[in-house]
Amino acid sequence: MSSVDSFFLLMEGFATAMQPMYLLFALGGVLVGTAVGVLPGIGPAMTVALLMPITYSLEPTAAIIVFAGIYYGGMYGGSTTSILLNTPGESSSIVTALEGNKMAKAGRGAAALATAAVGSFVAGTIATVLLSFLAPYVAAFAVQIGPVEYVALMVVAFLTVGALLGSSVLRGLASLGLGLFIALVGFDALTAQQRYTFGSPFLADGIDVVLVAVALFAVGEALYVASRLRHGPIKVIPVTGGWTSWLRKDDLRRSWKPWLRGTFIGFPVGTIPAGGADVATFLSYASERKLAKGENKKQFGKGAIEGVAGPEAANNAAAAGVLVPLLTLGIPTTATAAMMLVAFQRYQIPVGPQLFESNSALVWALIASLYVGNLMLLVLNLPLVGIWVKILQIPRPYLYAGILVFAVLGAFSVNFTPIDVIILLVVGILGFFMRRFGYPIAPMVVGLILGPIFESQLRRSLAISQGDPVALIQSPVAATIYVVLIVIFALSFLLKRRQRQFEAMVAANADAPDVVRGSVAPTEGAPVESTTPTTSTSTSTTSTTTTPDRKDTDR
Amino acid sequence: MSTSIQNSPGSGTTAAPGKPIGELVFALLIVSIGVVGFVAGAGIQTPTSASDIGPRAFPYAVSALLVAVGAGLVIQVLRGHRGSADEGEDVDLDAKTDWLTVGKLAGFVLLHAFMIVPLGWPLAAAILFFGAAWSLGARPWWRNLVTAIVLALVLQFVFGGLLGVSLPPGFLEGLGVFGG
Repeated sequence: MSSVDSFFLLMEGFATAMQPMYLLFALGGVLVGTAVGVLPGIGPAMTVALLMPITYSLEPTAAIIVFAGIYYGGMYGGSTTSILLNTPGESSSIVTALEGNKMAKAGRGAAALATAAVGSFVAGTIATVLLSFLAPYVAAFAVQIGPVEYVALMVVAFLTVGALLGSSVLRGLASLGLGLFIALVGFDALTAQQRYTFGSPFLADGIDVVLVAVALFAVGEALYVASRLRHGPIKVIPVTGGWTSWLRKDDLRRSWKPWLRGTFIGFPVGTIPAGGADVATFLSYASERKLAKGENKKQFGKGAIEGVAGPEAANNAAAAGVLVPLLTLGIPTTATAAMMLVAFQRYQIPVGPQLFESNSALVWALIASLYVGNLMLLVLNLPLVGIWVKILQIPRPYLYAGILVFAVLGAFSVNFTPIDVIILLVVGILGFFMRRFGYPIAPMVVGLILGPIFESQLRRSLAISQGDPVALIQSPVAATIYVVLIVIFALSFLLKRRQRQFEAMVAANADAPDVVRGSVAPTEGAPVESTTPTTSTSTSTTSTTTTPDRKDTDR
Repeated sequence: MSTSIQNSPGSGTTAAPGKPIGELVFALLIVSIGVVGFVAGAGIQTPTSASDIGPRAFPYAVSALLVAVGAGLVIQVLRGHRGSADEGEDVDLDAKTDWLTVGKLAGFVLLHAFMIVPLGWPLAAAILFFGAAWSLGARPWWRNLVTAIVLALVLQFVFGGLLGVSLPPGFLEGLGVFGG
């Protein structure tokens, strides 16, 4: 397929996505996506899972456009939360929270929000262009590979998702194993034998993927948060000034290079299964910190705009990168991508290398809707930030009670039987203990979804080789994939170690009062001038201020 | 679980409070799921005509993974390496585990499951929301009640009425806008 062909197909995709009805669905998707991105405790993966049973009546194109909107919207919304909410956030957004939150406390929240939104737009658009032109080539390669190579690719996905998401390798693999095990329950697709059904007719059909995903994401999260709910008022840092004046000339001058760098760091990291957006944002932050000079460098840790612009761009570019293996190979590398795969399966759309050929119109409509959604998100996020701030202030009891209601609604809608609600609760309790004991959820969901596909491809490969397992590594392509796997592993363990050291240093810096910071920072090895504390204490606000004063840290 | 009432002093760098008994039990649970996988896997019928590896091999491989990883985790926990509990904006890792609230929430979800058929979805959902919000500390009760009823009616209207999801309407039976 030449790039001219794919250009025309993309234009046809636009023709579909620009129809008023689909524009409306895209708008709905990005609105819901931003809202769930803003709200703590709900992510895009959970939202796609929840909406799947209750959007059954939609036609496939509409549903996929909604889910794509949620996928991109969730990325935008998350940055608003980490910038404006005055609590330590999740580690995936830690870098944005670090610089963005400091900026907001210093009265520069508007600039942080603006650079995040525009950066996300720039990165999202460039990355979607890259996706449009790269994906057809990968797909053309992918249709040529056989079951042996497919098995190799899935081994890569399993091991990287299992071992690299989350902080503990063994816990990630245990989570993966649990997912694979639950996927085995029910009839074997090839021989129609019952497996692990223990004679129960309810288990004979297998445990529904959506049910398990909703239970793990929604019920597990609600129970876990309830066990350690942060009480007291929700401290949201107010944003001042009209949105048109948010990004000043100086901010723009300092932001555009980090945006581009973040994009070109994020996209490739997203395409390989190496830990997702988490790694991309960290890499971008580390490189911005290294590249900053003079006055700007001193602001790192105290609210440097580069530290928001780069990671936010990297985050969105990685999200687009994740779609490359998903759409061309049918291999999800994040929990949200895994749920998108389930959405395709629900609508009887065969995922895998054939997707670009067999459902070309749908795929290109999806890609076109990503461009549209990105533009909508930029427009929505800048002027409407006030609405998202309001959403952020929803009383937490209502938020988590609402999550539970949506979860039981989704669970009940799978088969319209109350037994599914009980299964939901049981798996939700499992998810609660997994969170409590540090087991990541995403590998379980990926294992659950990819397990059956993996098994059938594996058995097909072994049937061809008449049971000889050596055949699995004899193909040159498969052998190359395994070598790449080893390289990815070596690299990401190095990266993880650096990230952990870095986060420890960041945490130490964030906890320490400003005066101490100068003495802590040099331990990281970066050449921080020892004169920093004396020159900067006058411009940076201390972490004890809850109401921001209008101090300007720029000059 | 009554294992995590008190904090073990000096639990190191990890943030999970409580004795590691709960964590140990969870790791042992993973091992035992693997063992069950082997035992129950032996009972899977294998058609003699099958020329490939059959329906039993992959379950065995997954069970082996669970046993091996679970055993590794048991050893890790016994050596004092604990998992770090999940972080989140609304999670206070320093707070003591509030088992009562977790129990109440689970109880209301269970109650909801038994209420859907006799009472209809909207009423059962309103009870769940009201109970969950109350468990999580929302006051006053009348505001919780109003929110619960409004939310349940809106959801029934949007999903039951507009999107055609067949939720049993209960007392709204016969009203078309609620999918009755």
